[in-house]
Amino acid sequence: MKMTARLKTLALGTALAAGLIAGASGAQAAEKFKIFLSMSFIGNDWQAEAANMVKAMAAHKSLADKVDLQVQVAGPNAQRQIQQINAMVQAGAQAIVIFPISPTALNQVVKNACDKGVKVFAYDGEITEPCAHNISIDQEEAGRVTAEWLVKKLNGKGDIVLVTGVPGTSVDNLRTKAAKEVFAKHPDIKIVGEAVGMWSQAVARTELSKITATRSWDQISGLWMQAGCYTANAMQLEAGKTAEQLLPCAGEGSNGGRIQMLPAGTEVEGAASPYAPLGAPRISYASPPYSGGLALKLAVQALEGKDVPKRVTLPLPLVTNDTVKLCKEGTWQEMKDGCNVFLPSLVSNPGWFASIFSAETPEIGLNAALVGQPEN
Amino acid sequence: MSLTAVSAAPARRFLAQHRGVAVAAVVFLILLAVVDLISAGPLSYFDISFLASGGATSALAAIGQTIVILSGGFDLSAGAVISLVNVVLAQSMDPADMEASIMLWTAVGIGIGMATGAVNGFFIAVLRLQPIVVTLSTMFIIQGVTLLIMDKPGGFVSPSLGTFYLGDAITGYLPMPIAVIGVVLLAWAWLKNTRLGTAIYAVGSDMDAAAAVGVSTVLTRFLVYVIAGGCYGLAGVFISAQTGSGDPLVGNPLLLSMFAAVVVGGTRLGGGRGGPLGSAIGAFVLMIVVNILLVLNISAYYSTIAEATILLLAVLAGSISESSTLAQQLRALKTRLQARRAGTLVSQLPQQDRRLALAPSTKAIALGTPPSFLTRNAETLRYALPAYICFVLVVLVTQFWLGNTVLNPGYWNSLIVLSSFLAILALGQGTVILTGGLDLSVPWTIGLCGIILAGMVKGSDAALLYALPAVLLLACLIGLINGLGIVFLGLSPIVMTLATNGLLQGVALLYSNGTPDGFSSPMLRWFMTGRIWVFTPVVLFMVAFVIFAVALLGRTAFGRRIYGIGNGVRAAQLSGIAVGRHLVLVYVLSSLCAGLVGVLLTGFSGQASLGMGDDYLLPSIAVVVVGGALITGGRGHYLGMLGGVLLLTALQTFLAGTTLPYATRAILFGLVVLGAVIALRDRRS
Repeated sequence: MKMTARLKTLALGTALAAGLIAGASGAQAAEKFKIFLSMSFIGNDWQAEAANMVKAMAAHKSLADKVDLQVQVAGPNAQRQIQQINAMVQAGAQAIVIFPISPTALNQVVKNACDKGVKVFAYDGEITEPCAHNISIDQEEAGRVTAEWLVKKLNGKGDIVLVTGVPGTSVDNLRTKAAKEVFAKHPDIKIVGEAVGMWSQAVARTELSKITATRSWDQISGLWMQAGCYTANAMQLEAGKTAEQLLPCAGEGSNGGRIQMLPAGTEVEGAASPYAPLGAPRISYASPPYSGGLALKLAVQALEGKDVPKRVTLPLPLVTNDTVKLCKEGTWQEMKDGCNVFLPSLVSNPGWFASIFSAETPEIGLNAALVGQPEN
Repeated sequence: MSLTAVSAAPARRFLAQHRGVAVAAVVFLILLAVVDLISAGPLSYFDISFLASGGATSALAAIGQTIVILSGGFDLSAGAVISLVNVVLAQSMDPADMEASIMLWTAVGIGIGMATGAVNGFFIAVLRLQPIVVTLSTMFIIQGVTLLIMDKPGGFVSPSLGTFYLGDAITGYLPMPIAVIGVVLLAWAWLKNTRLGTAIYAVGSDMDAAAAVGVSTVLTRFLVYVIAGGCYGLAGVFISAQTGSGDPLVGNPLLLSMFAAVVVGGTRLGGGRGGPLGSAIGAFVLMIVVNILLVLNISAYYSTIAEATILLLAVLAGSISESSTLAQQLRALKTRLQARRAGTLVSQLPQQDRRLALAPSTKAIALGTPPSFLTRNAETLRYALPAYICFVLVVLVTQFWLGNTVLNPGYWNSLIVLSSFLAILALGQGTVILTGGLDLSVPWTIGLCGIILAGMVKGSDAALLYALPAVLLLACLIGLINGLGIVFLGLSPIVMTLATNGLLQGVALLYSNGTPDGFSSPMLRWFMTGRIWVFTPVVLFMVAFVIFAVALLGRTAFGRRIYGIGNGVRAAQLSGIAVGRHLVLVYVLSSLCAGLVGVLLTGFSGQASLGMGDDYLLPSIAVVVVGGALITGGRGHYLGMLGGVLLLTALQTFLAGTTLPYATRAILFGLVVLGAVIALRDRRS
């Protein structure tokens, strides 16, 4: 490809200007591991929190001298993520940490990256290409355990409503299928409504409003949701229900939902209804957002020559009314001792995901999830 | 096109005609050079091959979309067709067969694409339905069918396809993706010079004129969708080869970037000018931006801003010339200043009545009986009624299927609360569509306004008092930017609002740092979820809003001028309407409505989230068209749009109450929307 001299100068000028904006990060990067993060959208709480934890991990003193981390966003577009991973390989990546948009569409490009010696780590989602490392929970287990809890809570009898995730994704498919298998074993459990919740509290509210337009809360005995129990409880209060009348809800691990699980009347700084202790009957599970941070840590270990397993199945964080415990300050030690929900005065967003603790990642705690700051 | 005489004039004319393509090509080469200069090593053939395969799916799909747009159409089903082809291939290929026939499966993919195109073409060309609603409906139906075929990613695509499509046409010189795109473009170059090719341009430039000179407009438009479907099919085959598996969601997000590629490539939305070559280059421009962002290590939060800027700059660069709108506006400004100096500006003349004095007629005019209400409003009723009839049907079906509907005030209350968001958006989007435009910046105007409101209010009613006006003012500012870009820079509404949407997304991310905090105040929450007797306060607000909207469009000078502009910009201008000023106002109104929806959604959900507006863009367009408005402007009534809103909301409420799988719901949704618009078709022969 030939260029005129003028064009070249122009291009150089643009490059220089852009380089100034981007900052001089490449200068000392020579001896560091060059690691890229390809995330999906940044348009939801979970993604932002996971990205914060990856960044915090990279900034932790144990890794800061070893890692040069660059973050790119692919949006919801798998085609674009393919292109992005290709570009990362071209740019000399030594490891790529990926939130995979599709478990299958990336296989070829990931294989190609592996062939060039790049370590590929997927978190939360899965990449089916065998050379990739996968760090996630067992989605089927998540669907099964929560459904079993609900059946038990209802004594095997009742009309229930399901609110699922994003249709067409593996995660939604595995969870919903496992839950339905459990419900199918109990003939007295009837699924009377099923809505697509897109893993969003806002969508859950819209969908539940549609369902309750023709079916009042009294005609529902329980809820199984991939996200939205917090919202469902708020809606029942708005409809005139008291805290004691709240329906059992199996659902996500948002901080708002967990605060509602605390016994009604618990003194909690910053609480305001519906983001307040209600004693709501719940089981709360989560795909923990620290998985990205752990993936980065493992990627560095792999680059240092350590043996890292291809599949890391994270323990499924499960919290019930019996095990919910308020963190006073949110220190890592406190979480290690078993607290699993944070004060509304510290976490103002009730949709924020509270399952951030892992014994594997002492580098990242509450501040990592909130603002991307590592622990000391 | 043959250029035998190498004189200056034809060369210049050639350049003027192909300006869009030329600019896109230059932009692409500059970006490529940037990548080459700042990446570690020089670009090798290997890198070029990578780039080629990265952009090929978009390029092929954009070529198909361009042909539709050239004929004056619009195809929203393109992304869904790509997914469909992908899952059909991945599901039906035998995993044991490593050497599957490339010819056969390529033909299958193209065939599926053409079949879906034929369905679109039938409804659009033969039944004369509006392309945007037909393809919106088929998009839902195809997405549903895709999920029925494969409900989660998986399947198998033979590696032989990958080896072929990602390999080399001439080893070391020509990557196969480029060759495939080249073959498609050559086929177009041939087609363009046939009678059909000329007919496509003719139909896109002026349908009536084309019909008058004997072009079969029905057949031409039908074939356009079939050809385009074939291109999407090929794109589906390519992505299957590239990924080696199936994913029912893989093609859907390609839709918006496809339009961006078409626009960057210099094709005019609305038809008649441009061509697929530019769009293919446009697709590569957008694709290489991914590499640039990566090489420059631009923060993820800035990526949508950078893309929007490139989109705007590329389109502006393609349009700057003596006859461009910007140049015209500057000349007009100059003349205006001269007139002011000379004291001849209309507003400087003494204010006096210069109208022709007409002597009052002495003869009494015999007035017949005034036409009845039905006669006077026949046209409005004809276009507005179908939505209401379908709405009533859906409510009745809900009553019989789920019960507890017609006599349940709770049902009506929920329905109106859920409708309120779309009903408000319908006024803004509807007014924009009445002028022949489209506002794609709705999603992130909603998102940004909601996030900023929640952030300012933080649960305090007192803060709401100043936060609400501040947020609505911000919305007006967004509309002003849209309007000024469209009127003074002469950008097409789709380009300008698409770019604004990207900018707003970036701003929202920067403002919220990825996680919006704050929540709505008790008063706002009560407004959206509380009760006065059985009704939520917002229901009463909506009654007032509907009266306001009907009056604004039907009873004010502003409303009349909007219809005037929509029916003919030139005619409106000549009859003394300040077209530019009104267009700006229209976009301000649209953004204001979107901002209001952002506020109400925050109250409804109790908090604001990024992407909270994403689900409202396509429905906001659909309800306007289902309600009887013409997407090209000039026709439509707010009450009709309201009927569209009620129909869609009632339908979704019904579907949510059933336990049908999502795939079936999507298909039903598409079918009902299609059914509603069949009743709207023009019976012009």
